[in-house]
Amino acid sequence: MRMRISVRQICFIMLIYTAVSKFIIYPTFLSFQSGRDLLFSAAFDFALQAVVVWAVSYLCSRTDRTFFQLVSGTLGNITARIVYALFALFFMLCTVLPLFEQNAYVHSIFYDTVPSILVFLPIFFFTVYAAGKSFRNIGRSADICMPIFIVSIIFIFAMCFSEVKWDSFLPVLRTPFKDVIGGSVASLFRFMEPCWLLMFMGHFTYKKGDAAKITLSYIGGAVIVLLVLAAFYGVYGDISTSRQFAISKISLFFPAIDVIGRIDLIALYALEVVMLFALVLNVQLAVHCINECTGYDNKAVISLAVNAVLALILILFNNQLDAIHTLWSRWMWIAFVIFATVIPLLAWALKRREKDD
Amino acid sequence: MIKFKKRYYVIFYWAVIIALLGLYFTNDFGLVDLHKTSVIVAVGIDAEDEDVIVTAQVAVPQPSQSGENIQYTQVQGRGLTVADCLNEINSKTGFYPKLLFCKLILLGEDCQKEELFRILGCFYRRNYSELTALVATCKGTAREMLSMPATISPENTTAMQRALSDELKKSANVSSVNLKDIALTNFSVSSACYMPYIEANVQGTSEGGGNGDNVGGDSAQQGQQGGQGGQGGGSQGGQGGGGEQGQSGQSGQSGQSGGGEQKMEFTARKTAAFSGGRFVGILDEQQSFALNLINNDIRLAVVPCDSDGTHYTIGLKSTKGGVKLKVNNGVPELNVSFKANAQIQGAKKVLDPDGVKNDDVVKPEILKATADEIRDRMQSLIDLCAKENCDLLGVRELLHKYNYKYYDAFKDDVLTRMKINYDIKIQSVN
Repeated sequence: MRMRISVRQICFIMLIYTAVSKFIIYPTFLSFQSGRDLLFSAAFDFALQAVVVWAVSYLCSRTDRTFFQLVSGTLGNITARIVYALFALFFMLCTVLPLFEQNAYVHSIFYDTVPSILVFLPIFFFTVYAAGKSFRNIGRSADICMPIFIVSIIFIFAMCFSEVKWDSFLPVLRTPFKDVIGGSVASLFRFMEPCWLLMFMGHFTYKKGDAAKITLSYIGGAVIVLLVLAAFYGVYGDISTSRQFAISKISLFFPAIDVIGRIDLIALYALEVVMLFALVLNVQLAVHCINECTGYDNKAVISLAVNAVLALILILFNNQLDAIHTLWSRWMWIAFVIFATVIPLLAWALKRREKDD
Repeated sequence: MIKFKKRYYVIFYWAVIIALLGLYFTNDFGLVDLHKTSVIVAVGIDAEDEDVIVTAQVAVPQPSQSGENIQYTQVQGRGLTVADCLNEINSKTGFYPKLLFCKLILLGEDCQKEELFRILGCFYRRNYSELTALVATCKGTAREMLSMPATISPENTTAMQRALSDELKKSANVSSVNLKDIALTNFSVSSACYMPYIEANVQGTSEGGGNGDNVGGDSAQQGQQGGQGGQGGGSQGGQGGGGEQGQSGQSGQSGQSGGGEQKMEFTARKTAAFSGGRFVGILDEQQSFALNLINNDIRLAVVPCDSDGTHYTIGLKSTKGGVKLKVNNGVPELNVSFKANAQIQGAKKVLDPDGVKNDDVVKPEILKATADEIRDRMQSLIDLCAKENCDLLGVRELLHKYNYKYYDAFKDDVLTRMKINYDIKIQSVN
């Protein structure tokens, strides 16, 4: 099989897309759920997912098959198609909330007035185009996004850390334990990274030590998210629950902004580009799954159909971000546990053709 | 077929690009045309019975080839909430007031009777404002204060912002806070907050008997001598001139000419204290100075002191102040520390040119007098906090964060129960 994505690119994806997908509402929600112990809630989720990421990446060292081939080799072709159909639905599910978040974020941060949804809809020109592309393009996008992300996140951190009050987290672990765990569980729906890796399986050449590299990249992304959470809560303390769109709020008190204006918007615009690529990754994987499931090769048509469904959802439930978020945090975490934790671990039970074979 | 598809794709994406360019060049995407807008740069809030009255100082950009291209005007709204008022202001200015450019929120004296966060609550609603606006209270009504012509700037909000500037804050002369700061302290376990108290004084006057802390001079009321509309809600130079106090739903819209009127200087060396959202009192200049030494990052503070019958003005550099709470043998102890390098900046005696070189070598008795002065000011502040049960120093917060196991036992009476230890070290610059 022609290898279409490199380990370096997968590492970039695990680092940057993991991070940017949790910058908008996640910090606010977690500070509401877990209060000053929000870092523990987040660390718990990341630790759990890091284990699964390691398990899947280590599985890649044991086989050169794709996940589809593993399932069909063990459970039959029909089952593999059903599993991929379910994963296609799952990846669409993964896209819905980030799409609504992006809509609200873009409207709120980049516009002084309240624009109509039409302003946001052109995003689908981009997602239709990008989702029809192969894994090679996913990898190239990650290559492009990496420097943009690094520069802009350093810029944001540099502007916010002087305002962070590090004693905001004291006293430690005094929030009721059920609230801390509740925060972890209710935000599990944001953790789908092992599924990305599952889809990349068999599409890259595994070399010794790659599992560690991929897992460490994921942990790197987790550390960046934890730093953003710490900065957000350190700046806003107990009133952080009233501040949405965390990444755009943490650098507001940088002294120079008062004099020369919102220079942080430069970094936020740059991060927005990376966020869009992170958003579209799930659509790309949904298209890939439908492609495998149906055997229909015209990805452009599949992409058009998938994006039409997403656009319809966005239009029908416009301004319902809070309701969707509540639904996701109360119930959808179950789907995420099944697809992003249980199934990736169960993949070890599938018949593998050893690399030596 | 493949060739046709490729061609089709190219045409499709060119069509998309042209459509997007069309959108880009024909639609403003909700962006604001600068010449058609008006931006709220400051709001004054007054409370009257159940109503709140918001006076917005609005910047209206004007087309101009050069020179001054912004006009400032005042628009008023009245309602049960600040949002009601802003909605009215919105209808008058034709602009969606998101308050992103609002740099100052001024609370009138009447607001002291209300719960602070009933008045300010609107600003904390999700993404309504960015919490960076400075907050201050003032003598008299906010609308009067906003309508007074200022000495150092054509629009008086800029003059007020200068009185609340970061530079002044770093010299311990003002307790500047923004919306975020007061919410953080008010909603903490200390449940207390403070904000600068702005006073207007007639230009060119100053308070007598000064020991370096007295500022200002003739008050606005004295200075105006009837020359200015007292309750007029910004009626001078009026374009609309309709807004008079007491007429529900009415509002005034006026320009700010200030022509022929007495110009004012704004100072904010006093501090208004709030506990549990309720107004507690005004800290005088000395207490405010002590509060600033403890809570703020000070670069250069000036403190007067008397030693050997001579008055000295001492400059304090490289300062470091703070409070820590410990519980020793069941007794909460507040350790107040302050360190600084002192330099003589002035003395009430005839200058000896040869002696100037010794300004950086301050005599021990002067250092002691300086330390005593600072200690007295801090003691005065702590006494007031204990008397009014107003935790401006965040003692309960320290108890909660660093001595959590004692929190329940001491949280109610820690301010009166705690023992105070001072560690004030003043040394010469050289």
